[in-house]
Amino acid sequence: MTMIGMEERAAIREGFARLLSDKADDAALRRIMATESGHDAELWKAIGDMGLTGLLIDPAYGGVGGSIVDVEAIMEEAGAALLAGPLLSSAVMAAALISDSTDAAAKARLLPGIASGETIATVAVTGDKGLWTRDDIGVSADRNGVLQGAANYVLAANVADVLLVIAKTGDELAVYEVDPKANGISLQALKSWDSTIRLSRVVFDAAPATRIAGLDGAAVERMLDLARVALAGEQAGASRRIFDITVEYVRTRVQFGRPIGGFQAMKHMAADLLIEVESATSAARAAAQALAAGSTEAPVLVSLAAFACADAFHQVAATSIQMHGGIAFTWEHSAHLYLRRARVDAQLFGASDYHRERYVSALEKAA
Amino acid sequence: MSRTDIKTEVEAFLTTHWDSEARRPREGTSRDFAQKVFEAGWAVASWPREWFGRGLDKDDSKIVAAAFRKARAPGAGQDRTNIAAASLMNFASDESFKREILPQLLTGRLAICLLYSEPGAGSDLASIRTRAERNGDVYVINGQKVWTSGARTADYGLLLARTDWDVPKHQGISFFVLPMRQPGIDIRPINQITGDSHFNEVFLDNATVPAKNRIGAEGEGWKVLQTALAVERLVMGEGAGERRQGSSKNNVVSLIDIAREAGQLQDPLIRQKIAQATAYRQLNALNIARAKEELAQGSSSPIMSLGKLAMSRILHTDAAVMTQILGAASMLDGPEHERAADINYRTANAYMTSIGGGTDQIQRNIISERVLGLPREVELDRDVPFRTSRAVTG
Ligand SMILES: Cc1cc2nc3c(=O)[nH]c(=O)nc-3n(C[C@H](O)[C@H](O)[C@H](O)COP(=O)(O)OP(=O)(O)OC[C@H]3O[C@@H](n4cnc5c(N)ncnc54)[C@H](O)[C@@H]3O)c2cc1C
Repeated sequence: MTMIGMEERAAIREGFARLLSDKADDAALRRIMATESGHDAELWKAIGDMGLTGLLIDPAYGGVGGSIVDVEAIMEEAGAALLAGPLLSSAVMAAALISDSTDAAAKARLLPGIASGETIATVAVTGDKGLWTRDDIGVSADRNGVLQGAANYVLAANVADVLLVIAKTGDELAVYEVDPKANGISLQALKSWDSTIRLSRVVFDAAPATRIAGLDGAAVERMLDLARVALAGEQAGASRRIFDITVEYVRTRVQFGRPIGGFQAMKHMAADLLIEVESATSAARAAAQALAAGSTEAPVLVSLAAFACADAFHQVAATSIQMHGGIAFTWEHSAHLYLRRARVDAQLFGASDYHRERYVSALEKAA
Repeated sequence: MSRTDIKTEVEAFLTTHWDSEARRPREGTSRDFAQKVFEAGWAVASWPREWFGRGLDKDDSKIVAAAFRKARAPGAGQDRTNIAAASLMNFASDESFKREILPQLLTGRLAICLLYSEPGAGSDLASIRTRAERNGDVYVINGQKVWTSGARTADYGLLLARTDWDVPKHQGISFFVLPMRQPGIDIRPINQITGDSHFNEVFLDNATVPAKNRIGAEGEGWKVLQTALAVERLVMGEGAGERRQGSSKNNVVSLIDIAREAGQLQDPLIRQKIAQATAYRQLNALNIARAKEELAQGSSSPIMSLGKLAMSRILHTDAAVMTQILGAASMLDGPEHERAADINYRTANAYMTSIGGGTDQIQRNIISERVLGLPREVELDRDVPFRTSRAVTG
């Protein structure tokens, strides 16, 4: 459970929103996305100073002891601004995984740096199919902890100091820590359609690694569910922002002697999108609450959020371009940046079809 | 000439001049071939002989088009598809100008752009504010156009400009063929969401156009535009907006091929999606074929108005299904990930068909109002002098 109260959460969120509007507006985003690293170190430091990189980390290791509910809230703001960088991979995925371990040495070694933001970590999960399923793990570890194989679509690995690798060990999964610059590890940058995001394929060829104790396949699933809810928050926040931009535009753009928002075709599209935006927000928040509470409803709600938020964001971003007309077909307009993010987000941690299947399975079990 | 004679003649022409296997002229350049097609009258077979055609009726023209299609040879059927040529031919204009420019248009020697849209006049195109003022033998043009595809390479622009501000908006517009290579025209590229920059802003600062380049009477530009738009939408309805990155050629790819390549062809979910997307495409093709049939028999076909809207759905659906087939790889871009790059390009470029040439919403209004005869949307400034409308007064 979280150690952060509701009011405090609102204050943190507000502070983060202010930071983003100051330091991560459209111009800043475009500047960062054109850099090779795609990472704004100064902004990252400010995020760390606010404690946001330590949200999920125990105060004993320098974190603030929050929960996924707090993470979901700030990810809505991050999504709205299309924040680029390692927040999801380091402060959510890596932090959650290590915190879940029984490895006191690893915790002491890694968590304080991740909490402050001085250490950037990421997690290499899926294999080349990009399914994020247990079957699609492309790295295996031998008894001595030597890694072989490849992990694909690794987030922000290009700026990571620490790489956590999910590897097969016989029938089980285990988690290993490596230095991405070490021998036997090569990073291949993947150009993404969303240039605010940096993806890599990481190849391991007899790479020595340190096992993190007490993490298995179930722990990996728990970490992925947290990541899915964080991503759902990002999707909910991003869809709301591009929706607001769009509604503001149709309110003011005049054609045929009146604001185009006065045409029923536009109103109906806007109303339909509002259902998507609100549903995404509700789904992401409910999933976060259920996960944080360890509720039996969590599997249903997490899967629901995973596909509902992905689909909502995609639909809102795609329709927003149509509602803007020609102006949104330009590079300078931000609408396409939201569509690009929506299309990448829709694939991360499993696509909607996979989550729909998990949703039905969870419903079946609950029934 | 009987129908079989036409068929024999056009087939003989194609056999002599066109290698349908290699899809290229038997001898000479493609420009030489275009010239031969033009001289034989096949470019615009339904037009009178004295106007570069063969005076064929619709059925016979269809035979010509079908033979060219079968041989996969270009250049025929421009009476239907060449926006500039059809507009010039359909509306009275200066005969010497027509004689001078039509042969160049029909042999593809002139590139054309469409100077219609303005920052304040997109869907509501009749609210254009670019002005054309008569000064002796020329009109002087001032204003700004936007989203002009191909402006940088165009020889001429089909220009919509206002010649009368004291009549309602549709009545004060004239249509011109504006020479693009002149000092009063400043063209600035606009970057598109696809990463291309085919379209442009065009600033007109005392540009001039000879009065003989006006198509239709002064104030009749809106009527001329309707023909031009109908041709454009027809062409888009047949998939002219379907592009591969970096290619100007229409390019259909098979969803089945993509699924096979990705090892997804046996996935029942994917199969359903492929079926739906392919059905949209095939149904549109069947509609168009039936409409052409009906047109050939002399009845007008409302189906023709559906094609562009249908094509918009086809292109958006195709891109979505391709994305689903590709899965996580659809996140990627660039030459190393050619399939993903193509699918992402198609995703973005589909908006060219759903926004360009009249948005889907406008197409739906047109279909319901003009085809179905449903009551018109209220348009507050339709009947007031343009000068007093909101487009001018703000
Ligand atoms: C790729 C591309 C190429 C283009 N090439 C050219 C070109 O070569 N030459 C040229 O002149 N133009 C060109 N255009 C411009 C195009 O014709 C316009 O973008 C289009 O007509 C829409 O106008 P707009 O962009 O001003 O949008 P707006 O008219 O402002 O429309 C914005 C939104 O309002 C909606 N809307 C407007 N009126 C109504 C209504 N009455 N009822 C319901 N909804 C309504 C629209 O559907 C849209 O969703 C091109 C556009 C694109 C995207």
